[in-house]
This record gives sequence, structure tokens and C-alpha cells, in this order.
Amino acid sequence: MSRIQIIVARLALLALVLAVWELLPRLQIVNPLLLPPLSDVMSTLGNLLLRAQVQEAIGVTAAEVIVAFLIAVPLGAALGVLISENEYVGEVFKPLLFYVFSIPKSIFLPMFILVIGINFWQKVAYAAFTTTFVVLISAASAVESVKQEYILVARSYGATRTQILTRVYVPSMMPLLLEALRISMIFNFTGVMIAEMYASRTGIGHLISGWGENFQMRELFAGVIILSAVAILFNETVRFFEDRCSTWRT
Amino acid sequence: MQHMANLNIPVAEREPAGAAHAKAAIEISDLSHVYAGAQGGVPALEDISMRVGSGRFVVIVGPSGCGKTSLLMMMAGLRAQSQGEIFCHGAPIRAPDPRRVGVIFQEASLFPWLSALDNIEFPLSLRGDPKDERRRRAEKMLELVGLGGFGERYPHELSGGMKQRVSIARGLVQDPPVLLMDEPFAALDEQTRMTMGHELLRIWSLTSKTVVFITHSLTEAVYLADEVLVMSARPGRIIDRIAIPLPRPRNYEMMATDVFGQLRERIWQQIRSDA
Repeated sequence: MSRIQIIVARLALLALVLAVWELLPRLQIVNPLLLPPLSDVMSTLGNLLLRAQVQEAIGVTAAEVIVAFLIAVPLGAALGVLISENEYVGEVFKPLLFYVFSIPKSIFLPMFILVIGINFWQKVAYAAFTTTFVVLISAASAVESVKQEYILVARSYGATRTQILTRVYVPSMMPLLLEALRISMIFNFTGVMIAEMYASRTGIGHLISGWGENFQMRELFAGVIILSAVAILFNETVRFFEDRCSTWRT
Repeated sequence: MQHMANLNIPVAEREPAGAAHAKAAIEISDLSHVYAGAQGGVPALEDISMRVGSGRFVVIVGPSGCGKTSLLMMMAGLRAQSQGEIFCHGAPIRAPDPRRVGVIFQEASLFPWLSALDNIEFPLSLRGDPKDERRRRAEKMLELVGLGGFGERYPHELSGGMKQRVSIARGLVQDPPVLLMDEPFAALDEQTRMTMGHELLRIWSLTSKTVVFITHSLTEAVYLADEVLVMSARPGRIIDRIAIPLPRPRNYEMMATDVFGQLRERIWQQIRSDA
């Protein structure tokens, strides 16, 4: 199949999904109370975005996501580099980190609430906690992916330690780092959502769980669309850069 | 040793008459190396002494694990030996010095995130040469190795032989008097390998570098070298030095000659009797 054909087929699939969403409730095949038609959801979405309460919630959620990301990515990356560069630290900490990584992080959420309370920083702390592990593990494998011969080549041409870091490590790790960034944002977003839906006074996650409990299905689906759009946009932006350096992988 | 005399092959310790008084490009005396390990370590290299005259092409052969790559890494200043000193044009080598020594590695080891030209420029960019000066020199080197017009290609768009040409250009770009080559053509198929060997001799004749070349292939060794050094199994020692009196420029027909076969046989005997 040619590139154009694939794009047409993809658009057709998207149109099909949206059409099914619109038609099933309209034709009473699915109860419109459970699945409101797409057009209704879209008009609700428009109204919601104008509401001060929703705008504030979006702002809070965005701030939580960004702050947690800004904490987790450098922290996880630094720890990941540390355990893969320092043999001793790696030997000591790796098993523990891998064990903790395998535990579902949501079971620690009540502890975050007990220690920090229900507020902005509890969401940030919980999301950063879940995300740090993902970044850490990815960063460690990114460092280990750097081929020794590249370092040897750079050294033979008289590269300094800083030059080896910036001219060999960074470009060499870039494909894996971008992938880590993308996946960690998925975890980060999920962390904030879970924390907001579990116990919160504001934020999109809080609104969505409230709409769900009150059977406000149009608002619920509108919230889902907002979140999906933001998540997909971030993911695809990073993936765009990832594709551009995919040929570096050897 | 009786049969050796019949072959009428000189044992070489000397350089061509004109170069006899020149300072050696590489001079090593009584070098030893012991790998750290249990029970006082593993001896890897023993009593290595050698002298490579300026402009000579010397090939080191020896069984796997004999330490020939380690020896080359020491000449490049990339690894420290336990004992002994390596001199390059009279001054000791203790750290990588790209102005004196260029290294070409086993696999092409080009950076996949840089184009061919950017790879060749890499050593120059490390020392902060101006961009257009770098580009000019890199393009010249690319021409020299016969890859003019391929500068914008990335390593994954080049064949194995082309990658090694780029790698040679990268080794030459700083114009070091000495070129160290660690089995550069080992990963290539047999035909490409022979072509690349011939190409290397062409480039060598144009640049008058001193070359120390490591290989497993005895044919390659005899074809390329002025002199072949044979190393023993671990701990590596130099057990024979064989002058290759074949005239230059070399050509493929020489491989079919008796002299070529006898030289190859003599190296093989040395390696076999040691095993």
C-alpha cells in the first residue's frame, strides 16, 4: 500500500469511529443516557471550556503535570545515570529499584494523602514518585546502550570528559531518552489523574470523577476528549523528534 | 632453523638505507603488561621491543588473545602498560595524542548520528578549528579515500567498505605521522577486503605515513607489509620479524608468486609452532 492509501484508510477509520459514536445513540441502538451522541458532547465541550470552574481545573491539572514532570525527569535521569555509571552504586541499588518498579504505585497513594494531605503538592509528589522510576530505568538502559567503541574513538582523538559527554553520550542516548520522555509523560499524566480522581477538590480528574458519579455523561465524555487531546498532542510531538533520530539506533 | 636458510629470506631488523639514521616513528623497549586479577594477575604482554622506522608499513600478526590489540591501544595512549615506555618520534606516549597518532578501529565505529563529512570533521571540531577550514580538509580527505560526493551520506547509507574508507579519512584528517590500524578490514567480505588493502597502499603511498597494522589474515599481512612481526599466544611476545622484500607498488599477481607463498608459509610455521 502506498503512503497516501494508508493515510486515507486511517482517516476513514477515524471517521467511522466518530460516525458510529454519533449514530449509535441517535438511532437508539445504545442508550443515549449512557453514550451521548458526539455532536452533543462537542457542544457541551464548548460550553465547559468557557466555564471559570473548568478553566481553573485545567490550569491546576496542567500545573501539577508540569511540575511533577520537571521534578521526575531530571531526578530519574540523574539517578539512572548514577546507577549505570557507578558500578558499586548500581550493584547495591538496582535490585531494590527493580523490585519497587514492579509494584503498582497506586497502593502508595493513601500514604501520600496521610503524610502531605489532599492538595497540590500531594498530587505532584505522587505523580513524580511514579514517574521517577520509569525515567530512572530508561535512563539507566540509555547509558548502557552507549557503545564503548564510540567512547574509545572520541578518546583517541583527544576528547575531554565534557566533550565525551556532550558529543558522544548525549547524541548516542537521544533516541532512548526521547522515548523515555514520552513514556514517562504517560505515567506522569496517569499519576496526576489517579491522585485527582481518588481524592481532590479541583482539577480535571476531580471534575471527571464527579461528573461520572452524578451521571453527567456529556460532561464526562467532554472531559475525556480534553484529556485525550492533550495527551496525544504531547506524545506525538515527542514521537516526531524520536522518528527523526531513529536511524541512530544500530 | 635449517629449512629457513633455503628460503633465502632476510630476517629484517633494519630500514631502507636512507632512513637508517632517522628517528624511529615508534620505538618500544622491554614493554610488559599484566592484567590485574587473582593470584597476582595475568601476564598479557612480555618483553616487547620493537622499532618502526618512519614511513614504514609494519604488520603485527598473532593468535587471538595474544594481546596485539592491547599493544596497539598502548601505542595510541588509550591504555597504560605495566612496564616499559613507548616513544613516538622520540617523545613518550602516555595519553592519546591525535597530532602524532591516528587510530582506525576494528569496526568502522563511525558515529551514526553524523554524516560522513561530519564524522571526518569530528577530530578537528574537538580542537575547535573553524567550520569552513574543517569542511575543506574533510572534503579533501574524502576525495583522497575515493568517496568524493558521498559526504552527506550517513553511515547506515554506506557499504562496509565505504564506511572503512570514511574511517581512514577520519584517521588522516589531522595529518598525524603515525597511523595505527586495528584489524580495520576484518568485518569485510574477502573481495572487499583485498580491494581495501590495495586502496590503503595507494593512500599510504600518497601520504607517506608510518603504519602499524594488525590483522589475522596472513595473506593481508604479506601483501601490505614492509615487515611482519609475529606474536606468540598469551603472554604475547614477538617471536619473529620477517622482512617482506616484494617490490612496490604491490599488485594482486604477486600473491601467486613463490616468494609470496614462502613468506606466508614462514609466518604460518611460526604461529603454528607456538600454538
